[in-house]
Amino acid sequence: MSKAPLLVSLRAATLGYDGAGVLHGVDLDIGAGDLIAMPGPNGAGKTTIFRTILGFIPAIAGVLTRNCALNEFGYVPQSSALDSTFPITAREVVAMGGFGRLKPYQGLPAREKQRLHDVLEEVGLAHLAGRAFFSLSGGQRQRMLIARALMVGPKILILDEPLSGVDPESQKAISELLLKLNRDEGKAIFFSSHDLRMVRSVTDKVLRVDGGKVAWEEASEAQHPW
Amino acid sequence: MVSVVEILSPSFLLFPALLGSAILALVCPLVGAHLMLRRRVFLGLTLPQIAACGVAATFWLHHAMGFDHGSGGERLLAMAGSLVFTLVGMGLLAYLDRHATGSPEGRLAAAYALASALTILFIVFNPAGELEIVNLLKGEVISLSKEELKLLALVYGIVYVGLALFRREFLLNSFDRDLSFLLTGGGVRWSLWLYVLCGVSIAVGVIMAGPLLVFGFMVLPPLAARTLARGMSSFLSLSSIIGLITAVLGFYLSVRLDLPLGPTDVAFGCVVIFAVYAVQAVLRRGRGLVGFLIILLVLFAGCSARQPGAPFDPSLLNREPLWLAAVRNGTGLDLRLPGTNPLRSLGEMAGKLSPDYRPTVMDLLRGSLQRELQQRQVIVSLPEERDVRLQSLPFDSVSAAAHARMAKLSGWLWLSEIRRWHTDGRAPLRAGVEMKLVRIDDGAAAWQRQVVKTVPIAGAMRLDEISADAVREILRDVFGQ
Repeated sequence: MSKAPLLVSLRAATLGYDGAGVLHGVDLDIGAGDLIAMPGPNGAGKTTIFRTILGFIPAIAGVLTRNCALNEFGYVPQSSALDSTFPITAREVVAMGGFGRLKPYQGLPAREKQRLHDVLEEVGLAHLAGRAFFSLSGGQRQRMLIARALMVGPKILILDEPLSGVDPESQKAISELLLKLNRDEGKAIFFSSHDLRMVRSVTDKVLRVDGGKVAWEEASEAQHPW
Repeated sequence: MVSVVEILSPSFLLFPALLGSAILALVCPLVGAHLMLRRRVFLGLTLPQIAACGVAATFWLHHAMGFDHGSGGERLLAMAGSLVFTLVGMGLLAYLDRHATGSPEGRLAAAYALASALTILFIVFNPAGELEIVNLLKGEVISLSKEELKLLALVYGIVYVGLALFRREFLLNSFDRDLSFLLTGGGVRWSLWLYVLCGVSIAVGVIMAGPLLVFGFMVLPPLAARTLARGMSSFLSLSSIIGLITAVLGFYLSVRLDLPLGPTDVAFGCVVIFAVYAVQAVLRRGRGLVGFLIILLVLFAGCSARQPGAPFDPSLLNREPLWLAAVRNGTGLDLRLPGTNPLRSLGEMAGKLSPDYRPTVMDLLRGSLQRELQQRQVIVSLPEERDVRLQSLPFDSVSAAAHARMAKLSGWLWLSEIRRWHTDGRAPLRAGVEMKLVRIDDGAAAWQRQVVKTVPIAGAMRLDEISADAVREILRDVFGQ
């Protein structure tokens, strides 16, 4: 599907947990600069695809090829998956994205502090950096997690339901941010959502997941927002 | 009575115990904070119990293999048992967390129950070592020897440095294991190292200070810090700082009120949590400063102990004679000292001492009092030398004075009663003595003093040596040296 250099490829893959397949015959290419949405109902297996690509679980069958290192993936989990009892500030959450470049005992160098500032500016939330992370609204938390993923310096961003549980205004802000990152910075973006209408407003590359199968949606079905 | 400043002085008798408490209080909250962040705080309760089970099991094995208790090296043996059981237990729990279904909390509760039961059973199987095991499990940080203190400092120093150096990796791993895997490539590795550090600190801490103090320091300071912290860095530093404050003030209260250290620290830690929540609630409601001051006032008023009485001033006597009454034993215990004096047998041979006679702590105290008073140019006489009926005088001022008047004594009576004098041979000696100076004419007490002392047994091998140390401490208080 993609003509750009391939970053991730799945061929005839069976994906699932503990040897039990959830998805079968998965074929998927993600190239540099792709913006791919993955709509599907809850429990269809969207997160399973992400977790396999990111190496958290192995593919049961088929071939998975990654042409970039794991620390070049920017992963944005659902913020509800994080423990809300942590007394952690937004700045500390975003700074975690840079930990892969630091030695265990090393302090945060000036260039990392600058980068931290830059990504917070990029998501438009630098003024909230000192606030407790879990005191932010759902949309703000999601943008902070995108900032954390950007802090990694990723070639590809993988976002698990970035638009769920946030108000319409935040949905719009996040959608615009994803489009900007894709168009202006050439980041490959692969995200999931159960809101098909919203997905179609963002991209025409849609991989539908349902009934244990994945299928590309025809381009003619999509509506182009830009 | 000691002040906070005094107990912080290295010359203070119990300073090593304070140092031990401070080391525990600095490091245990850090360990507990990490467990709390991982929602594994009950590990902090279960692992010390598993460690205790390891101690009991090792002693049982040691006994079953034909070794006697008291042959030396018990503490090393206990440490080994504690460490092995803790690490194996932790590994097993971690394995079950990854591979078994069911609730992790349920597993921790079951492990706690099993470890508690096995500890008791191992003690029952090995009655010969029961006292030794119970002492070790009770863990008296106050009786740490210098070598044990050094070992504690070394092990906890390593744990502290490990937690500080890899703070970022541990936090990332606790907060978002997936990102930890992507960025550091070792989600499981960091968990493993964190649990090893926790296990080692718990295993050693239990031997040195007992499960109660270790669990208390692991849980209470982070709970208080959690409500104050505005970020992870402040959460971790505040946990240690609150732990340290709890240790110092808890130690002070323990010494001043003559209470056991572990339970005092834990109870005081709870007070700190309530105080922190109360202060926060008051501050949130906007009545800030006034409410805060009221709470501080109540706390300090509640915690303040009796003011110490003035040291004895010989000028009170106005050059009148002083009758030093026999010291009363109000403990209900037999306070006879072991007979080791080589002159004793000569005394017995000369018929001056009955073979049944053994000097007592009361004799020791009275003899020392007599010497101290004489050094202050006080003319001291013993009432029974004037009238044998005065061999024992009541401690009540009026009655004692009445008895003295009947024997035609005049001047002053010095009455003393030992209220507490106890040690199990390993824990420090806890001593409590009350003394008063009574005017024989009217039975009025012109001066009185209660002295409570906790005296470590480090260096002292026998009850007479420990008691002599305690008497010296008491007299230092009474005469204000």
